[in-house]
Amino acid sequence: MSPMINYVIATFTSPENIGTNPQALFWLLPLAAAISIGYKATKLSEIKAGSFFKDVVGLFGSIVGFLAIIALVLYVITWLATK
Amino acid sequence: MAKPRLLKNNHALILLIVGLLGWLIPGAGFFFLNEKKRAIIIFVTLSLIFGAGLYIGSIGVVDPYGSWPWYIAQVMTSPLVMILGHYVSAGGFPVYGKPAEVGQIYTGIAGLLNLLCIIKSVYLAHLYRIETDGGQNVADD
Repeated sequence: MSPMINYVIATFTSPENIGTNPQALFWLLPLAAAISIGYKATKLSEIKAGSFFKDVVGLFGSIVGFLAIIALVLYVITWLATK
Repeated sequence: MAKPRLLKNNHALILLIVGLLGWLIPGAGFFFLNEKKRAIIIFVTLSLIFGAGLYIGSIGVVDPYGSWPWYIAQVMTSPLVMILGHYVSAGGFPVYGKPAEVGQIYTGIAGLLNLLCIIKSVYLAHLYRIETDGGQNVADD
């Protein structure tokens, strides 16, 4: 096996370093994108590039938007409880 | 009008094949139904998100004993995950904290999305049969 293949396989045997900081929340973005694409691929009756992209962006925006609202509400509740 | 029993059996067999193909390779159920664009989108998306989960958390996130609820969701991606789970259960791939969390969520969501795709492809296969038979099977079934 070539060293390149060995290296690629080895990257899947040890975890990446992800800190418990606010930036770690950005890991939700690829997941939200995958959910939007996967869901819309099953939902739309016909797949056309333009409408598919528009629908995916809409769903992605909805997911991220609602999560942001929930985060804001939780932040306000925490702030009120601890002030 | 009653349909021949063989046709009914074949219909069930086709639904089973579509479901199994969709489980074996994400999107293959749609490919079988000639929905190639849909199949490619699903295959690429689910492979990327599952691969990303394994990359972030390592293959240790596929843990049949330590985190079996996640494992059930992960196995929905493909039965090949069971081979990985068997390999990992021998030990040697510990993963904790945030990488484990992110990796499990990514791979678990990939599995659950594939479950949605399997259900949808089987339903689509059922609808195709109704369309090709002029809707008579709704009453027959």
